Amino acid sequence: MSIAADRPLTPIRKGLISEPLDGPEGFRLLGSKCGACGELSIGTNAVCLNCGGSNLSTVRLSPEGILWTFTIVRHPPPGDYRGPKPFVPFGLGLIELPDGVRIMAPLEGDIATFRIGARMRLTLKVLDADSPAPLAAFSFSMIG
Amino acid sequence: MSDVVILGVGIHPFGRFDKSAEEIGAAAAQQALDDAGVKWSDIDSAYLSRMYLPATSGARILRRLGGTDIPIVDVEAACASGGAALRQALLAIRSGESEMVLVLGCEKMPRGFMDPSMIYAPWQVQMGMSLNPSYWSMRARRHMYDHGTTEEQIALVAHKNHRNSVSNPNAMYRKEFTLEQIMNSPLVCDPIRLLEICAPNDGAAAVVVTTAERARKIGGRPVRIAACVHSIARYSADFRCPADSMSATIDNPGPTEVTAKKAYERAGMGPGDIDCFEVQDTDAFCEIEIYEDIGLCPRGEGGRFAAEGHTQITGLHPVNMSGGLISKGEPVGASHLGQVVEVVAQLRGTAGPRQVADAKTGMAHVLGAGGNCAVTILERVQVHA
Repeated sequence: MSIAADRPLTPIRKGLISEPLDGPEGFRLLGSKCGACGELSIGTNAVCLNCGGSNLSTVRLSPEGILWTFTIVRHPPPGDYRGPKPFVPFGLGLIELPDGVRIMAPLEGDIATFRIGARMRLTLKVLDADSPAPLAAFSFSMIG
Repeated sequence: MSDVVILGVGIHPFGRFDKSAEEIGAAAAQQALDDAGVKWSDIDSAYLSRMYLPATSGARILRRLGGTDIPIVDVEAACASGGAALRQALLAIRSGESEMVLVLGCEKMPRGFMDPSMIYAPWQVQMGMSLNPSYWSMRARRHMYDHGTTEEQIALVAHKNHRNSVSNPNAMYRKEFTLEQIMNSPLVCDPIRLLEICAPNDGAAAVVVTTAERARKIGGRPVRIAACVHSIARYSADFRCPADSMSATIDNPGPTEVTAKKAYERAGMGPGDIDCFEVQDTDAFCEIEIYEDIGLCPRGEGGRFAAEGHTQITGLHPVNMSGGLISKGEPVGASHLGQVVEVVAQLRGTAGPRQVADAKTGMAHVLGAGGNCAVTILERVQVHA
């Protein structure tokens, strides 16, 4: 996938997002599931963060979940933040997926409408869209 | 095992100063030596607690006290650095390797939100997940949902701490605010507001630690270290790590609960045996959650507990008599030792208008990045004539 033929999207972190971005099964976050304890974490990891086991398999995470908690970020985050300039306040939350993991992610949509328990869906978020090397990141949007 | 005591304390006020880290650090260290009634040449090892100062800062600050060849080591464990450094002093003395140890906490930090590059992965920063208060705010939001905690209960904690700080010459703000002023201050990360969070700043605090036997020979007003415990968050137990994902199936106890439990066991005390508490109020909600984690009230009751006034200086369980980090600011490396200085003053009965009546025991608690948590329990020593 690209936003212009000569500017392909680069995943914001290797192993976090399914590739190719425009594959037939759609855009998904990737996780690592431990063969020993069954715990799941975001991204492709070599070692289980719970039990230290090394028998991990890469899984495609469910694209839908429930908003478990959230805040509204009302000040520009410090450091190399790649969001809109000038800064626009945005939601940040933990989305609980049916897979048994909660994912931290920016939230798309009207900041006045977020509520715990809302159904959320994964969306592709392009950062640095006008630059020569745009980034493929992710966010979650409320459904309905 | 022989008792280890704090014999002297020193502090440079927390705030923003046109002074170097060397100046404020050496001032606090000298004050601690004077308070202990010992000389720099009596010290046989030293630790500097710091997060932001560069390598070898301990040696650079302490050489202002005079030439020496003792080991001086910088210790870092994020907001719990001071507890980690104090624990090293305890271990050095218990091992028999050292008898008189100086522990200094010192920091000089830029204004505004903390530099995220030391704590977060680059992609987390790029996506906007690097504003520290957002993590506490998400915990606050969930606590409100689960337990009915209110924004007013959170504001009442900030109100208490700002008011306590008015009589603390070492605090940065020292200004009382009305509940309305706090609840109308700008939102930083909903539901947490500007007058409910702590600010990074400059400051230094120091203690001289020795054996009970040596303290008896010197005299003075020693305070016993009943426990000094440092631990980090268990798997998925705290998303301030900062975590990018959390387990939805494993619910491990948080770092404060785990560390306080270990400290109570080592001290042979429970929450009801502690007369006063200084805890990590990075934000006002955080303090509410800590009431529950250290066992002052049942899970979910922290907001009501605050509103009922139990943690006021005159309440059953006084918390943050000094004004807490909300009013003092948080010079990260100095914050825990600053708490220890306040608790020592309480146990010596020298805290002035902030004095908790007849305080015999006290706790200092810090919590921060990496899920680093430290808890120190101090006890008044009966001085025999």
